[in-house]
Amino acid sequence: MAVAQLTRRRAIILLVLTSIILITLDLQNSSAISGLRNIFSTVFRPVESTARVITRPISNGWHGIFDYNDVLDENDRLRERIAQQEGATIAAAASVRLAQELLALNGLPTLAGINAVTAQVIGDSPTNFSQTIEINQGNESGIRVGMPVLNAAGLIGKITKVFSDRSVVMLITDPDFALSVKVVNSPRQTTTTTIAKSNAAVPSPVVPVEPDASLDTETSSTTTTTTTTTIAGFTPSVTTLPAVPSGVSSITVPLASDLAVRETGVIEGRGPSRQPTVRFISNAVRFGDIQVGVPIVTAGGSRSLSPPDILIGKVARVVERLGSAGPVLEIEPVADLTNLSFLRVLLYQPITEKATP
Amino acid sequence: MSSRWTRLVLVLLIVISLQTTLFAEMRPFGVAAQLVLLFVVVSGSINGSTIGALTGLIAGLMYDFVLPTPVGLTSLALGLAGATAGLLVYFFREPTWWMRLITIGVVSLLGEVYYPLAQTVVGLDGWLQFRIIKVAIVVAVCNLVLSPIAIFVCRWTLTERKLSV
Repeated sequence: MAVAQLTRRRAIILLVLTSIILITLDLQNSSAISGLRNIFSTVFRPVESTARVITRPISNGWHGIFDYNDVLDENDRLRERIAQQEGATIAAAASVRLAQELLALNGLPTLAGINAVTAQVIGDSPTNFSQTIEINQGNESGIRVGMPVLNAAGLIGKITKVFSDRSVVMLITDPDFALSVKVVNSPRQTTTTTIAKSNAAVPSPVVPVEPDASLDTETSSTTTTTTTTTIAGFTPSVTTLPAVPSGVSSITVPLASDLAVRETGVIEGRGPSRQPTVRFISNAVRFGDIQVGVPIVTAGGSRSLSPPDILIGKVARVVERLGSAGPVLEIEPVADLTNLSFLRVLLYQPITEKATP
Repeated sequence: MSSRWTRLVLVLLIVISLQTTLFAEMRPFGVAAQLVLLFVVVSGSINGSTIGALTGLIAGLMYDFVLPTPVGLTSLALGLAGATAGLLVYFFREPTWWMRLITIGVVSLLGEVYYPLAQTVVGLDGWLQFRIIKVAIVVAVCNLVLSPIAIFVCRWTLTERKLSV
């Protein structure tokens, strides 16, 4: 009996030491741990699949009893929302197409040019302390660690573990999630500046015009003597125009402060019960006050794991901080992370992550 | 001696598969019941702290290979939970069924807190929130409800059987 007790104590010490060593190795991304995970996965997979098949009627019954009314309510809400959005979708689709054409025309990367794999969610996190889901596509489909995962609404997370036929996606609400983002801050008031051209090369006077005029890429309106052209994106505060031999014309340009300003920060998850935050926003005067509702999109860049301009959410609350520290923004994700079904994994890797031949 | 540990590993495979399938989907109040934790706590309350700790370490190590968190973390947290369950019963000479039930409830509550604590220790902070109180209470109640089945399975798994010659 005493010998058995001693053996057990030794086994406990051995297992504790093994656990500590494994934690150390795993935190340093050891390939040995990945190998062990794969071996265990191979053994465990058939057992799990069998359990899934056997327990499906029970889980279906559970959802039928406890979620039926919620599903009915959600169905009604969604029908209402679809009706509202149908018209807007057509206009938005046309705008997106136009934007993609413009980006392609200028040789800029677009999401349309990035291959993607469609995957289905096959499992939630079994613990209460990780915000992950499992999808049914793995490295056989070209998925690698770090690739961004989207649903129809926007970014939902990134790939953190890849197996041959499945992957684990860390959601943007997980406290370990971090990604560089852009805050697209829009001006409070939209005004434009009309710069009247004259024969002499002199600094132009500034004349505010109606906000709607700035929305058009190129509009023309007749003045008493000349044509006025509005050019969005052209932003000098004081412009000197060359002398024109004959006639008087003017160019209307928006004020620099009136254009959408983009500032980068880092989005970080804070668990399922709290909204993610964006930190490290600079307190620059040019950026102005951040308004609730402005969109948050991925920043992109050679080191970012995500391509630019994927919608993540909108600002739900702005928490101002004292001193030079910029504000902290609470973000309301556009994607409903509690109800995910089909996802899209962008087969995107930044240049710094791509293996050199 | 070795047969019950072999049995334990096989039973744990089934328990973990139930955890990752059925109990990952059935979430009362948005909280997943922790079947692996229940199994470990019950083994500790029935067989004492040494067996409880061993069961927790083995179960945790197997569970770790399924979870995205660092391997070894759940092992330590569940090992501690198993040992705690054994220690609580140790103070009673002949624990009655309701003492065991209280032990299972209390240690399930503590065990669910051990895990985010362990995460914080290795630098994965952000999980120690007020939500943990709700999670721990729901897990404790779920474990109490499921404990009669778990006690039966645990007894069957960890009983030493003498081979007849």
